[in-house]
Amino acid sequence: MSGITGPTPTPALSVEHMAKGFGAVTALRDVNLHLDKGEVLALVGDNGAGKSTLLKILCGFHRPDAGRILLSGEEVTLKSVDHARSLGIDAVYQDLALVNELTVYHNMFLNREMIRPTRLLHNRAMRKIAQEHLDQMGVNIPSVDVEVAKLSGGQRQAIAVARSVYSEARVLLLDEPLAAMGAKEGALILDLVNDLKARGEVSVIIIAHNYAQVFEVCDRINLLQHGEITFDKRTSETSVAELTDLVVEEYRRSRTQ
Amino acid sequence: MSERAVQDAIDGKTTTAGTPPVRRHGPLRLAFEAFVVRREATIFIVAVALLLYFWSNNSDFLARNNLVNLSQQTAPYAIIAAGMVLLLVSGEIDLSVGAVFALSPFLMHYMIDYYGTYPIVAIIGSILAGAVIGLVNGFVVVVLKVPSFVATLGMLFLILGIMLTTSHAYPAQIPEAAHGVRGWFGQSDWSELIWCLIIVAYFHVVLTRSRWGLYTIATGGNPLGASEAGIRTGRIKFGNFMVTSALGAFAGILEAFRVDSIDPTSAGADGASPMFTAVSAAVIGGTALAGGSGTVVGALLGALVLAELRNGFNLIGINANPFNIILGAAIILSMVLNVYLTRLRRAGRR
Amino acid sequence: MKKIDPQVEEAVETLSLNGLARRRLLSGAGMLSASAAAAALLSACSADNKSDSNKSGNGVGDFPETPKWKFVFVNHVTTNPFFTPTQYGAADACALLAASYQWTGSKDSSVPEMVSAMSSAVSAKADGIAIAVVDKNAFTSPVDKALNAGIPTISYNADGAKGDPGTSRLCYVGQDLYQSGVELGRRIASLMPSGGDAVGFIATPGALNIQPRIDGATDAIKASGKSINFKSVASGAELPQELSTIDAYVSGHKDLKGLFAVDAGSTESVGKVVKKYGLKKKGVVAGGFDLNPNTLTAIKAGDLDFTIDQQPYLQGFLSVLYLWLYKLSGGLVIPSVTDTGLLFVTKDNVDPYLQTKTRFEGSSTKQQLVKRSGPIAHA
Repeated sequence: MSGITGPTPTPALSVEHMAKGFGAVTALRDVNLHLDKGEVLALVGDNGAGKSTLLKILCGFHRPDAGRILLSGEEVTLKSVDHARSLGIDAVYQDLALVNELTVYHNMFLNREMIRPTRLLHNRAMRKIAQEHLDQMGVNIPSVDVEVAKLSGGQRQAIAVARSVYSEARVLLLDEPLAAMGAKEGALILDLVNDLKARGEVSVIIIAHNYAQVFEVCDRINLLQHGEITFDKRTSETSVAELTDLVVEEYRRSRTQ
Repeated sequence: MSERAVQDAIDGKTTTAGTPPVRRHGPLRLAFEAFVVRREATIFIVAVALLLYFWSNNSDFLARNNLVNLSQQTAPYAIIAAGMVLLLVSGEIDLSVGAVFALSPFLMHYMIDYYGTYPIVAIIGSILAGAVIGLVNGFVVVVLKVPSFVATLGMLFLILGIMLTTSHAYPAQIPEAAHGVRGWFGQSDWSELIWCLIIVAYFHVVLTRSRWGLYTIATGGNPLGASEAGIRTGRIKFGNFMVTSALGAFAGILEAFRVDSIDPTSAGADGASPMFTAVSAAVIGGTALAGGSGTVVGALLGALVLAELRNGFNLIGINANPFNIILGAAIILSMVLNVYLTRLRRAGRR
Repeated sequence: MKKIDPQVEEAVETLSLNGLARRRLLSGAGMLSASAAAAALLSACSADNKSDSNKSGNGVGDFPETPKWKFVFVNHVTTNPFFTPTQYGAADACALLAASYQWTGSKDSSVPEMVSAMSSAVSAKADGIAIAVVDKNAFTSPVDKALNAGIPTISYNADGAKGDPGTSRLCYVGQDLYQSGVELGRRIASLMPSGGDAVGFIATPGALNIQPRIDGATDAIKASGKSINFKSVASGAELPQELSTIDAYVSGHKDLKGLFAVDAGSTESVGKVVKKYGLKKKGVVAGGFDLNPNTLTAIKAGDLDFTIDQQPYLQGFLSVLYLWLYKLSGGLVIPSVTDTGLLFVTKDNVDPYLQTKTRFEGSSTKQQLVKRSGPIAHA
C-alpha cells in the first residue's frame, strides 16, 4: 500500500505466521496476509499450493497447526464452521455446498432454517424471504421453489453467494468461483462481487487459479507459493504478464531441481 | 407456461410480456393436478390397479378377513421401511434389521420370564435394545468409516448368532404375563395396521417438514457440501441407524404377538427376509438406493403392492414354485409401470 | 304301449340305453326283451368306472358328482425336494377324485409366512387345508379360524410337540416323530453293543418336525442301558452347509463310533463323509432318515447301515383323500390319525428303491405300475 501516509485502518482479517500440514505434506509454512475492509483480494497460486487449505482454515473447517487469525484486530480461535459463521466469516466452496434435491429456498437457509412453534419447518416464511433477498441482490431465477439441480451453474453460484451474504457475512471467501464456467456465466458472478464491493460492507477473498479472469474485479493480488505469500501488490501496480512471468519462472526452477 | 418460456426463464431471460394468461381451473382439476404432481401418485395408481385386478379375479380379495390379511402382510414391512427410507435417503443401508426383527421378541421374552419385568417395560426395553444395535451400526459406519453394506452385513450375522445361541434355536412361547397387552401390540386384527399408519405418518412428516428430514436429504444428496454447510452429517446417520433398528425391533414384536409364537426362523433362515421386503417396498415406492431422495408414504404403498401380489396370487391358487416366477415378473412389471407413469408425470409438469 | 311299472322304468333308466333299445326292452316281452335286457345289463356292467359326461349325477368311480374341491397344503419348506413325492401324492389323489390342490407356505421355515398363507387359504374359502404344524403355538388360532369357517383342517408331516399337538386339527397324517426317534435309538443301541461316542446331527434344532426324533433317540438310548455317549449337533438348514459341518465335526472327533442324523440332508451328508474317510473299515456305524437318492446309494455301498422312511407320498395322497371324504360325507367320515410308516431300509431291502425311479419317491414324474414278485420280507 505505497503512497498512503498516516495510521493504516485495521484490516478486516489478518493472518499471521500460519502453518498447516497433513501427515508428510506441508500445505502452509508461514503464511501472512491481510484483507482490508471492503477490499477484494485475489489469492492465486499453482494447484496444490495450499489455497483451499488456507480457505478451509479461515472458515473454521480445519484447525491450523500454528499461527493467529485476527478479525478486525482481535485475535480469534475458530472452533467450527458454525462458530466462524457467527463471527461473520463464510465460505462458498467449489461444490457450492448446495444440495441438488432441495429447493432454492431450502438451500438458502441450509443449517439456519426458520421453524414454527411446532418445530416444523416454516416453509412459507423462508420462501418469501429468500425471494426478497435474491431480488434485492439482483439474482434472477424463475422461482425459489425450483430444485437447484435444475438451475444453471451461474445461478447456483449466485445462490450460494446470496446465502452467505444473507447470513451477514463480513468476510466472504470464494473458492474458485469461476472454475468450469463460461464467460457469460462468469460475468454474473463478477457483477455480484462488484455489487458487494460497491456496498462496502463485505470484504472478499477470491481464490482463483485463472487470475486473468479476476484481475478486473480484484483490488490486490497475493501469490501463494511454497506455503508462503511471495507476492503482494495492488492490481493497479502490476499486470497479468508480471504474474505469469513469476509463475513460469517458478515452474522452470522446479523442473531443473 | 409454454416449454420455451420456462426454459427462457431458467436461462435468466424472463420477461413478463409475452407469457400467456394463467388459465383458471376448477377445484377438481386443481386437486387432480396437486395429486399427480406428488411423487407417490404413480405407485398409488399401481396399488389401486392391482387391487382392482385381484378383486375382479376373486371377490373375496376385498372381504373383511382378507383385508385383515393384507394389512398384516403390509404393516410390519412398512414400519421397518419408514426407518429404512430415512437411512437410505441419508446415503446408508442396514442389512441387519431382519436379524433385529427376529431377536427382539426373544429379548422381550427373556426380560419377562427370567427377570420378571413388566410386559410394557420389556417391550420398550427390546425396542431400546434395537436402538443400541443401531447405535453400534452407526459407530462402525461413521467413526470407523466401514461402508454400511459391509458393516451391517457383519452385524446381521452377529445378531442372528446371538438370537440362535441364546434361544437354542427353539421357538418360545409368548409369556403369560404379556397376554394382557398383546391385543394392543399385534394380536388383534387391526392393531398392526394402526401402529403402521401412525408410524408412517410421523416419519413422513419428519422427512418432509422437519429439519432432521432436511439434513437427512442433504447428507445423502451432497455429504461433503452438507458438512461444509455445517450440518452434522455423522449425527444424522447415527440417528437414522438407531431409528431403523428400533423400528425393526418393534415390528418383530408385533409379528410375534400376531402369530402367538416367538420363532427363531421368523426372519427366514438367513435373517434377511424382512429387510429385503422393507428395502424393496422403499425402492418400489420411490426411494433411491443411491440416497438423496425418498418417500415414506411411498414405501407404505410399495409394501402394500408387495402384499397385494403375494396375497392375490395366493388367493388365485398359484403353487409355491411357479409363484416365485409370477411374483418376480409382477414386481418388474409394477416397476416398469411406475417408471413409465413417473416419466409421464414429469413431462406433464412442464 | 302298455303301462310300465314305475320300478321297472327306474331300473331301466339306470342302464343308460339309447332310445331304441329302451323302447324295445320296455315294449317287448319274452325272449326278445329278455335278451335285450341281458345285453343291456352286460354292457352296463362292463362299462368302465370312468365318469361319463353323458351320465347325469355320476362323479368319479361310483361316487356322485362333486364340485372340483380345492385343498390347500401349507408347508414350511415349499421348495425342498423331500416334499416332491408329497406333491405327487396330492396330485395323484386329486386326479383320482376330480379335485385340485395348491402348494403354498414358506420357503425357509418362516412361521409368520405360513400363518399368512393359512389366512389367505381361509379367505379364499378353501375346501380343505393340510398344514405342517412346525410350531405348537402359532397355528392354534389359524386352525381354529379355519375350522370355525367350516374348512376341514388336518396336519401332515409335523404335529406340534410330543404329546401336545397344539392345534385342534381333525387328524395327523405323518410319521410319529418321537416314536421314530425311539426306534432310531433302539437301532443305535443294537448296532453299538459295546458303547462309545455317537453323534446325532440335526439340521435345525428345535424345529418340531425333527427335534422329537432326537428326543426319542436320546430317551431310547438311555433306556437301553448301553454306555453310549450320544450327543446332538446342529448341522444347518442347507445341504452344502450340512456337508461341511458334518465333515469338520467328524474330522475333529476321531473317536466317534456312531454317526447318525435325523433329517434327509444330514443323513445324505453322513453317508458322504463315511465314504470319504473310509470310516466303515474302522467299524463306525451310521444311519438316518429319508430316502434321498444319495442316501440310498450309500446304503447299497455299505457306507450307511440303515435309513428310515416316512413315506412322504402317502402324506400327500392320504391328506387329499381324507379331506375329500370329509367333504363328500358332510363331515360324517372324520379323518383319523395315520402313521405313514416307520420303515427301516437297509442293504437287504434297498434294491427296489434303487432300481426304480417313481413318483412315490419323487425321482420321476412318470406314472407307472411297479411290478414285484416273490415273498414279502417280514420280521
